[in-house]
Amino acid sequence: MTKGSSEEIRKVDALIVGSGPAAAACAKRLVDAGYETVALERKALPRHKACSGILSPRGHRFLIENFGPLPKEILHTPSSAVGVTFHFPGMLSLSMNFDGGPTPHLHRKYADHWAMRRSGAEIHDLTEFTELQDKGAYVDVTAMKDERTVRYRARRVIGADGPGLSVVRSLYPDYAGQIPWFVVGQKFHAVIACPLDDRYFHFWFHPQLGHYTWSHARDGKQLVGVGFLKGENFDVRHQRVVQYLEHRHQVKLGPAESPEIVPANFGGSLINRYIFGKGNVLITGQAAGFFNMIAEGMSCALHSGAIAGEAAVESFRNPADVQRTYRAMIASEVRRCSDQWNPLEIAFGRPHEADFRGALNKLKVRERLSVLREILSFIKLYAPLNWGRQILRHSVYRQVLGRYDSARWL
Amino acid sequence: MNTANISSPGLYAETLAKGAIPADHVHPDSLKGIPRRQTNPARWNGEGWDAFVGALRAKNVEVREKKQTCLVYATDCGGLAYGRPHGVTLAGSAEQISAILKEAQKRRVPVTVKGGGLTTEGESVAFGGLQLDMRGMNRVISVDGKNMTVRAQAGIHWHTLAEALRRDGLDYLSAPLNLTASVGGTLGVGGIDINSPRLGPSADQAVSLQVVTPTGEIRECSESENPELFERVLLGYGQFGVITEAVLRVRKFTPITMYYFYYGSLRDALQDLQLLVREDAADYCGILTILDKAINLLVAFDSDEREHAFFEKWRNRIRGHGEPGFALRMAWHYGLRPWRLGEALYLLGRKRALEPAFKPGQYMENGKIVDRAVVFGNQVWKFWGGRQMVIPDLAVNAEKFVEAIERGNAVCRKYFPRYTLYCVGIKLSGRRQRYELSCVPPDAVDFAYGCEFEPLLGDAIYSREYLQTFKNEIYDIGVDMKTSYYRFGGMMKGYIRRAFGDELVDKHLAMKRAADPAMILNPDVIF
Repeated sequence: MTKGSSEEIRKVDALIVGSGPAAAACAKRLVDAGYETVALERKALPRHKACSGILSPRGHRFLIENFGPLPKEILHTPSSAVGVTFHFPGMLSLSMNFDGGPTPHLHRKYADHWAMRRSGAEIHDLTEFTELQDKGAYVDVTAMKDERTVRYRARRVIGADGPGLSVVRSLYPDYAGQIPWFVVGQKFHAVIACPLDDRYFHFWFHPQLGHYTWSHARDGKQLVGVGFLKGENFDVRHQRVVQYLEHRHQVKLGPAESPEIVPANFGGSLINRYIFGKGNVLITGQAAGFFNMIAEGMSCALHSGAIAGEAAVESFRNPADVQRTYRAMIASEVRRCSDQWNPLEIAFGRPHEADFRGALNKLKVRERLSVLREILSFIKLYAPLNWGRQILRHSVYRQVLGRYDSARWL
Repeated sequence: MNTANISSPGLYAETLAKGAIPADHVHPDSLKGIPRRQTNPARWNGEGWDAFVGALRAKNVEVREKKQTCLVYATDCGGLAYGRPHGVTLAGSAEQISAILKEAQKRRVPVTVKGGGLTTEGESVAFGGLQLDMRGMNRVISVDGKNMTVRAQAGIHWHTLAEALRRDGLDYLSAPLNLTASVGGTLGVGGIDINSPRLGPSADQAVSLQVVTPTGEIRECSESENPELFERVLLGYGQFGVITEAVLRVRKFTPITMYYFYYGSLRDALQDLQLLVREDAADYCGILTILDKAINLLVAFDSDEREHAFFEKWRNRIRGHGEPGFALRMAWHYGLRPWRLGEALYLLGRKRALEPAFKPGQYMENGKIVDRAVVFGNQVWKFWGGRQMVIPDLAVNAEKFVEAIERGNAVCRKYFPRYTLYCVGIKLSGRRQRYELSCVPPDAVDFAYGCEFEPLLGDAIYSREYLQTFKNEIYDIGVDMKTSYYRFGGMMKGYIRRAFGDELVDKHLAMKRAADPAMILNPDVIF
């Protein structure tokens, strides 16, 4: 309910919606170049964020180079992950270390806040974006704060609000209803016995557990998470994973605490269906479809956010169509993100920051075949989404032309 | 409007002395070998700025603070680092700069110096504080034809200096090919030219300097007067003072004769370049390539005697051939690869544009280029410049030269469809102090080699992220091979400790702290 409104309009060069890694990276680029930048966050900062918190070495380097060395307050315990262990239903486990050595285990609540503050942008928290109108020379934005309407006028607006998609909904009201939605949830357990190596992030290629099933140590507890298509019951799914870990891996856990559930617009990067905005409005980070697995998600959020900031800066300095500039610049990050899901790149290239093929090659031939068979069986889990042919088509396109088809981007 | 309610202002506070590397809270082995350096610096917080400006204005020093003025200085030629000064002062005199630095020390205000702005890693970009634009000091003070020296203000561009020297039939010894570099900036980083194999870096042609130290003292220095300061400031990356005037050696101006030799093998061309450099066979020599296909060794001579000697003693020892051979080889290569027609047409187009550009009628006389400074200066911008200059490089000793080039070219191939390579030898004058912690590789003896890798971007748009990733991959080769870098500092400063080790860097950090107690002069370049 709106109690009142302020007619005062805050004029800025750039308005960023969101305060996660993509928003911080975007703000850093804008503020560095001297442009007045405000970021809107609907919650009070620092705000909680459900996430594994494992950041890839590329993302770690980005954080250091742009925001400075990581203070200990933004890290969980253990403060790092050495690598990833893949587990398969046949009880084969495949461990691989990150290329750049151990990588941070971020406490997202504080890490996001730290990066945002280090960006130098002005942050308006408890301020929820509601709508925008692109007037050509500028964009009028309306938000709510303390049940009052607040107004902004920005030369560029950047939607970096993750799966909330509030800016995307303003531009494309039907978009959210046209994509499949997943649910990703995690719970924390006291550890009674846990033979899983706490230096690694553990992931299960198991079609009966979920589309994305993982576990790792955090602050003296064991985190157990599972992702699945929206519509199913999280508690049931989660309990199934806990029981599986107990029966097959002898992981004995105490009762679950602190359930965290978030929606996920997963899939855009698999089928090259990104959404980058229109007019003076840019979409970046997870909101744009940059969604990645196993430590690489925050990395592509950081890099795509920075590129959105660069495109905005470029459009201020050399008047040009900001969308054209952004789409040209973002192509490299699309390649990077989509390559990590591209079966041909995985088979013949080296798209990840951990050497999956190297680890696979260390297995006996029989074991290798077993792993490949189980991965194939896992991929079938996604069959109802009808992504198979699309993935194949884009994989071949990438191999032939060296890029992904930008005509697919919204 | 309320801003975020920060529960504690010191929530993530970690105060570090400038240049110090903090403990790693992630893991001792994380990002192996990459020191934890913020290479896109945070903007200075502006504390004390108003009082600083007030004090300067009381001394009649003008500081321009308009946003539009400051935004002009947002980036450098590299276009990868962006910053904005709080204010800009156009340099006018050593006394004015002295007043600025004294106030800056007192009030801890960063001062970033910019000459031609041809840095590519943000070295001349101010991340807040004062931008000192040296282009206000751009006069030739005196030409001494008897002692063959010129005294000029340090903000002068090389092409302006060349123009002044021509009136007396003189020329500078060596300058960067890009003549919009300033003299002061060049002396601070080295400066290489295709005559560097004979004459060394531009910094080595300096006879004496007038320097304003970071604490504001105006000093003359040379090999005999304040030699320690002289050696610190040359190739000192602006850490130990602002060069305000320079006395440089000059020579008699001569038209030059230039020859091009084409190669089918990059390795052969590199080895032949090393032969010519080692044996002082030409007055000028260097290699320019396009896509590893058009590999060109260029040699040039100041005199007919040197030219004749080359054809007598060295021509038969090098493996390059003339244009017909090159045309035949290209026809054969692309005839067998018709699917690469686009590449062939690109090379042909480039050749057609470049050839007349390097032999412009108005600058040719009896087959000689009358003013190579003008010809090269123009063409470098036209054909190698662009929206931004992306030129990561490696500076190596003779033994590592070929491997560094081959590895660097492989990186270029991975990132870009079109790229070029430029490399030259650099004569070293013994083990001078100025070479320590500089672009001169510590293991180079007699000669070093500069290898510049440049994507030909054309109209293509790339993100800064992509371009910096490319550059970092080139710089990683340097770490692996223990080389140095010509472009040294700014966004690649994380590589300095990797390349030179903590002991040497800490030694220079201690010298910097002694010379610049508040660490205000060019604070984000090296440390």
